[in-house]
Amino acid sequence: MQRRSAARLGPLLLLLLLPVAWGAGPEPPRADGELQVSSRLAGQAARVALHYLNYRLGSPSALRALGQVRKATVKTIPGIGHKYYLQFTTEDYKSSQNVGTCLATVLYLKRKPRPAVNINCTYTKDQKQTREDDYSFYKKLRQQTKPITGNDIPDSYGHIEPALEPAWALAVAGSSYLMWEKSTENLGYFMAQVKNVKQWITKDDSIDFDYLVILHEIPTQEMISCHLRVIWTPGHPLKVKYFCLSENQQSESEEGSGTESGSTNGIFNEEEANF
Amino acid sequence: VKANSEEEINKLQLLETLEHLQLDFWLHPSNPALPVDIRVPFPSLQSVKVFLESHHIEYSILLEDLQVDKSTSLMQMVNNQRRERDTSNFNYGAYHPLESIYAALDGLAAEYPSLVSKQEIGKSYEKRPMYILKFSTGGTNRPAIWLDAGIHSREWITQATALWTAQKIASEYGNNPSITSLLNRMDIFLLVVTNPDGYAFTHTNNRMWRKTRSKNSGSLCIGVDPNRNWDAGFGGPGASTNPCSESYHGPSANSEVEVKNVVNFIKSHGKIKAFLTLHSYSQLLLFPFGYKCTKPADYNELDTVGKAAASALASLYGTTYKVGTICSTIYQASGGSIDWSYDYGIKYSFAFELRDTGRYGFLLPASQIIPTAEETWLGLLKIMEHVRDNQS
Repeated sequence: MQRRSAARLGPLLLLLLLPVAWGAGPEPPRADGELQVSSRLAGQAARVALHYLNYRLGSPSALRALGQVRKATVKTIPGIGHKYYLQFTTEDYKSSQNVGTCLATVLYLKRKPRPAVNINCTYTKDQKQTREDDYSFYKKLRQQTKPITGNDIPDSYGHIEPALEPAWALAVAGSSYLMWEKSTENLGYFMAQVKNVKQWITKDDSIDFDYLVILHEIPTQEMISCHLRVIWTPGHPLKVKYFCLSENQQSESEEGSGTESGSTNGIFNEEEANF
Repeated sequence: VKANSEEEINKLQLLETLEHLQLDFWLHPSNPALPVDIRVPFPSLQSVKVFLESHHIEYSILLEDLQVDKSTSLMQMVNNQRRERDTSNFNYGAYHPLESIYAALDGLAAEYPSLVSKQEIGKSYEKRPMYILKFSTGGTNRPAIWLDAGIHSREWITQATALWTAQKIASEYGNNPSITSLLNRMDIFLLVVTNPDGYAFTHTNNRMWRKTRSKNSGSLCIGVDPNRNWDAGFGGPGASTNPCSESYHGPSANSEVEVKNVVNFIKSHGKIKAFLTLHSYSQLLLFPFGYKCTKPADYNELDTVGKAAASALASLYGTTYKVGTICSTIYQASGGSIDWSYDYGIKYSFAFELRDTGRYGFLLPASQIIPTAEETWLGLLKIMEHVRDNQS
């Protein structure tokens, strides 16, 4: 595993000179080249990269959502798959404030299992602050004598009970792992709702939650139910296990224990996963 | 009585338990979005007033001194008062069940009788009425603009936005020169709840229900995706043949009575110049085609109008929308409503995908209803102005 840096822009510049051959609709592009930033595939790839980032950071206070795609290119790697090169802005998941820009590559492999992501981001939020926020999350949850339980977060009216916000944020972080694994070039996901949450009070210092989450799958429009087990200790990789119930297919996690090393300080540099 | 929070609901529920007061709750405290109506016997009046006031709970007197008039039934009296109360106090910033939405439609027609009328265009599968509001300043069969919402029942922001928009159009006539000149020449038809069966189901059983509630022969699964059921590339890519699927196109085009009712109305009217429809979520402004990935003949004009509308929308709160054809912006999908309307000859066919971009998705907080409706209004107005000024 090598460290990749922003020097990856080299090949990207070359690709921009290729003629645009877009017009086949939102199926996987048959020709390489620049994508319209408004195209679904570009946004989808960017979201996959963010799922991966949110999972690897494992920080409920530092969750990010997609802002705008600024640039997107796709390249076919014969026999392997399609590789997307992306530049996009990000927003804080809670406040929607702009928190920085990312450069990412997303490689969809013809043979599964999951998209290979390489992502570098700037982060304009105060990292000391997010670490402190994570610790107050953590303390609050550790102090529970009665395990947190809840249903329908947000509820039908979009309301999230303040006491359940930390559990919800951890569900988003855990679901990110699940959504990253399940995403393909054509299938994308959003976490629609936490149907059910149950906290396990542990004797060690981890935070342990059992969730039933509902994912919204695009473009099929299906709502997929998944059981999710999230084990969290601040500053450590998130441990996630899942099992999804679906009409036609079932998907299950390997031990998503995040045992690959990753740093959570300063500008985020991440090694490419599994490739 | 108007409760403004869960806490106040709890206080009212407490009041309900005080049997010695002999209070008769006609509308029970449940959801802060709905009023609570209580019949208070005279001896308890003072205590109830004190209770409400000490807890700072808003109340108003609907009917003083309830003595049944021989000529008017009690329920009639109450309903009339409620209607009056409800129009001026209707909370457009909340999500309402079907009955309340229908009451609000009546309220608008009653409040603006020279401009607004309610018509039934048919019934749903489960026999619920489908009501449109007609905004007209007169004339006979004037050219008109069609706007619908809630074809996919879980997209609650759309019905809520449409209802606010109805109120906006009604109140702006005579005040806003643009909408005034538009209504002096054209009519507007607004279908707030295109899929009432689905909407009711999202309240009673499954908040994430999307389709109609029709039975599918040979399957245990219910419902057809009403936006794959139109006669435009019907059965093509982007729609499912599986009745259990969320994008099941149905046995044939217009098999869904909800779709058929709209088609019949549009065809028999004969002078619809724009077909606008609301969906959520993703923040997109889309025009044909969805069933094929080629550009429509009017691409340039639709793209220009779309971009102007998105720009107007963004001017209010900075909410950004992407503009483009369905196929290139969202995904290929056959049997969609605006593809049908466009191929039928209605050039100005647009679909909005409202807020947000995935954080809350279908579960958009009620606090965002009015901002969403306000910004969407600017986009809609831009399109309608263009239609008004480009009549052939």
